[in-house]
Amino acid sequence: MTEKIKAKLAENILDKLSIDFLRGQVLKNAYGNDDTVIAGLDPRVLLLWYVVIGFLPWFTGSLWFLAACFLLVLATTMLARVAGLVLLLFGVGVFTQTGYLLIVSMFFGGNGSTVMPLLILTLKVATCSLASITVFSGLDPDRLSNGLMWYGCPERLSFSISYAYRMLPMLLEEFQNILLSYRMRGNPPAHDTLTGKVRYLIYQVKIIMLSFYPLMLNTAKRSRTTVEALEIKGYRYAAVNKEVKKMKLASLKVTYNDMLFLAVSFLWIALSLLASTVF
Amino acid sequence: MELGKKQTATQSQKLMIFVLTMALYGLATLFTELIPSYQIGVVEFSVEYFLFIPLTLAMLFDPMAAALGAATGELVFSEIMLGQFGGLGELEKFLTVTIGVFVAGRMVKNPKNCRMVGIAAMTGTGLQLLMGTIVDILKVQLAVEDFEAVAGLPQSVFATEGFAFLNDLLFSGILFCLLPTLYLVPKLYGKIEPLLGMRPRDEKTGLGGISLRVVIGAAIAFAAAAGAELLATGGMPLIEWEAEWAESGTALAAGMVVAALAAVIVLAVLRGKAGKGMAEKA
Repeated sequence: MTEKIKAKLAENILDKLSIDFLRGQVLKNAYGNDDTVIAGLDPRVLLLWYVVIGFLPWFTGSLWFLAACFLLVLATTMLARVAGLVLLLFGVGVFTQTGYLLIVSMFFGGNGSTVMPLLILTLKVATCSLASITVFSGLDPDRLSNGLMWYGCPERLSFSISYAYRMLPMLLEEFQNILLSYRMRGNPPAHDTLTGKVRYLIYQVKIIMLSFYPLMLNTAKRSRTTVEALEIKGYRYAAVNKEVKKMKLASLKVTYNDMLFLAVSFLWIALSLLASTVF
Repeated sequence: MELGKKQTATQSQKLMIFVLTMALYGLATLFTELIPSYQIGVVEFSVEYFLFIPLTLAMLFDPMAAALGAATGELVFSEIMLGQFGGLGELEKFLTVTIGVFVAGRMVKNPKNCRMVGIAAMTGTGLQLLMGTIVDILKVQLAVEDFEAVAGLPQSVFATEGFAFLNDLLFSGILFCLLPTLYLVPKLYGKIEPLLGMRPRDEKTGLGGISLRVVIGAAIAFAAAAGAELLATGGMPLIEWEAEWAESGTALAAGMVVAALAAVIVLAVLRGKAGKGMAEKA
């Protein structure tokens, strides 16, 4: 038992949290796959598709139909060439949501009959998540925010998306620099024994917390600069102006590819519906 | 000083607070997706909870801008950017985070008063966790048909959710919300406000405590959150829908297949023609 805890504690936080890796994955996810089939589609069409696919599974309990939906979104996710980290997170997320529940219900005297409802629930959750991964990771952020804006989402949200993707690499770098400076000046406790490891873990968590103090001050300065720059360009007036919105959204265009994508998805859904009624 | 009169200064300062909270909390929630959790015995020990960031900022600045910023930051950085977006269900998280942070921010009149800061931090965290727990229980009850009939499921849901709530509140709440907030608020007080061109909050410039309006507003928002989550999970209208299918299902589905097939063929032909036209022009 103590061996196990020791091994777990040995994988320490700061080593796992390789910030360069994280930055690379996020950037790859955002800008790395502009040339896929999914990225070429119109964001409005994709969002519509997402809403339909995201809702459909909740309207039925048929295993056939759910499995077909799942296969469809699996295919689109492959087409979108989503970054590995995102898929890993998806897998972990689905398991922790329903696998954990399964284990606990076994503990409370559940049996084989518990598996079916949970499988259905898992399929529903997984379909929704994969559909969202396709749409939100497959599109590049500017197209995504334009699409959301067309549907009347608040300008704040589109702004946040564009801002987040541009600022994140810088923020991560800054956070890493602060962490490294703490590491350089700090004196971490020895971590050979079990108690030492626990103390080392607490030390690491403390450093992460402490790093937010300088980070908060720096980000405050930066956000003031950002907002002032936006104000100079008249951002708050532009955000509510219809003319500006029209100009911004002029680049969106529905092509035959988009229609074909919708039609093929519809065909697949209709086929699986047919299958679910026959069987 | 005009700015000194009110804590809720100008629109552009609110935007600054929004951007600040969004960036910081978004970054933090990105980490929480990646940091491993440590399970020691039955106690899960995870750095899951970075709520201290928006809590601190809400106590120092305008609570509403900070709360909205935090919720948006979480939505954009950790949900949309990592592709974890759950559709309408995300509205629940968005609203509960907003309520929790906003209430905690409104409670603090004077950030120098450490006891009040601590109480507010725990209240905000507890409120957010509790609302999440209630919605989670309702969600599973409605998502799984014949909830009561599945052996062992009801008890296990209550047990896991209840335990998770206590665990989160006592461990993550105290370690990662209460202590950092108590450390950061006095330290940042008076230092971070000038960077945004504001006066520090004190008893005169504070917004006043929790009024009836805030409570009612929070209650309505929570009802909306629960409603959105349940709508997303959607249990009720579906059963009738299914019954309709069962009657004329096969014929209807066959018709849909034919229609879809026709659409695909027509579109493919049109697309081919359009492509050829383009090529000829060029």
